[in-house]
Amino acid sequence: MALIILCARITVSGQELYVFTEPASNMPTKSIGVRITNEGMFNYPGYVSRTIPEVMFGFNKNLMAHAQAFLSDMDGKYRLEGGSIYAKYRFLSLDEAHSHFRASAFGRVSTSKRPTYTKDINLEGDNSGMQGGLIFTQLLHKLALSATLGYAHAFENQARQIAGMPRPNNMLSYSLSSGYLVLPITYKDYKQPNFNVYLELLGKTDPSSGQSYLDVAPAVQMILNSKTRIDLGYRFQATGDMEGRYTKNMYLVRAEFNFFNVLK
Amino acid sequence: MLLFAVNVSAQKITSADLQVTGLTCSMCSNATQKSLETLGFISSVKPDLNKNIFVLTFKKDADINLDLVRKKVQDAGFSVGGLTASFSFNQLKVDEKGQAIVDGNVYRFVNAKNKTLNGTVKASVVDKNFISGSAFKKQATTANSDAYASGTGLINGKKTRIYHLSIS
Repeated sequence: MALIILCARITVSGQELYVFTEPASNMPTKSIGVRITNEGMFNYPGYVSRTIPEVMFGFNKNLMAHAQAFLSDMDGKYRLEGGSIYAKYRFLSLDEAHSHFRASAFGRVSTSKRPTYTKDINLEGDNSGMQGGLIFTQLLHKLALSATLGYAHAFENQARQIAGMPRPNNMLSYSLSSGYLVLPITYKDYKQPNFNVYLELLGKTDPSSGQSYLDVAPAVQMILNSKTRIDLGYRFQATGDMEGRYTKNMYLVRAEFNFFNVLK
Repeated sequence: MLLFAVNVSAQKITSADLQVTGLTCSMCSNATQKSLETLGFISSVKPDLNKNIFVLTFKKDADINLDLVRKKVQDAGFSVGGLTASFSFNQLKVDEKGQAIVDGNVYRFVNAKNKTLNGTVKASVVDKNFISGSAFKKQATTANSDAYASGTGLINGKKTRIYHLSIS
């Protein structure tokens, strides 16, 4: 009995506003979100960074889309290098009082002006291509778990290819994410800041070579005034590698602003 | 004419406690609150963020549509876990099937029949998507209403929304 009371007291709620991946849940209908993300890589060999302005739309309870632009100094001067459209459709929701299970399908189309120096495919800035996949998210009162499975195909990039450059073709991606609500312990009003912590495992496998890597990505998150979100995360390469991959040992800083009921 | 006027002002829903499931952060609750506030017949939405309950107060003499309340919660990305409304009834006759018609709204009570309801009555909507999926399945096995599964039935030859209520 004492144990049950103790457990009830230290119960923390799960969070699914993942920093490096998307949950199966959608943003609210008729809302718009604006994000600005900065990613920094230290072993390019020097330090380089990418800025990603992003607009998100909640069309209805099941369909949402993101539009992104990519700017970086990875090829010299800071410049616009491409853009991406991402859409997500939720096709399953099993909601109970203290748990839910949701499943969504997603698709992405990206362009990038960058030459391909690696076989790794990153459709958020480095490659032109398309991707499709599935997301499953389970909220179990105090734990929010999410799994993503994706398959990406890079478009041919003859014009910008230099002889001997790696030719990325296909890439399998998978991730497992978890999140906890740390603060507040007791909700009183919408002005209270929320503090969340995340731990994500991000992996990729090149089906042609069998090469893989797995990153461990911890992150912290603040939610202010129930509409502004600040993310801070870092991804460490835990195992495996892919020659010349960009997103190895990368930090991510993001601010997100939400506007509810603005779409007609 | 006089009778009609009395009916309109005397039979209404004054407030409701709305339990929303799946809310894990204040941003989710805020989105739900903002979504509910777009309904013209709601005068105020007071959240209990700890319990994920929204206390809705309705405008006087407004047409209250509980299905729209449910839809607004779903639009925000969540589900209704329970909705208990305060009805104000004026000598409402519940027939032998548990059915009563108030200003064109058809109610079927799962736990009342052959009685007259008067004054404030608190009742929960037990229709699909107003309670959890598992609670609905459980209720469906005991509900003796042919309209329970769909929430609609023929009333005077017309397909009509039938709300199933459980008096608390």
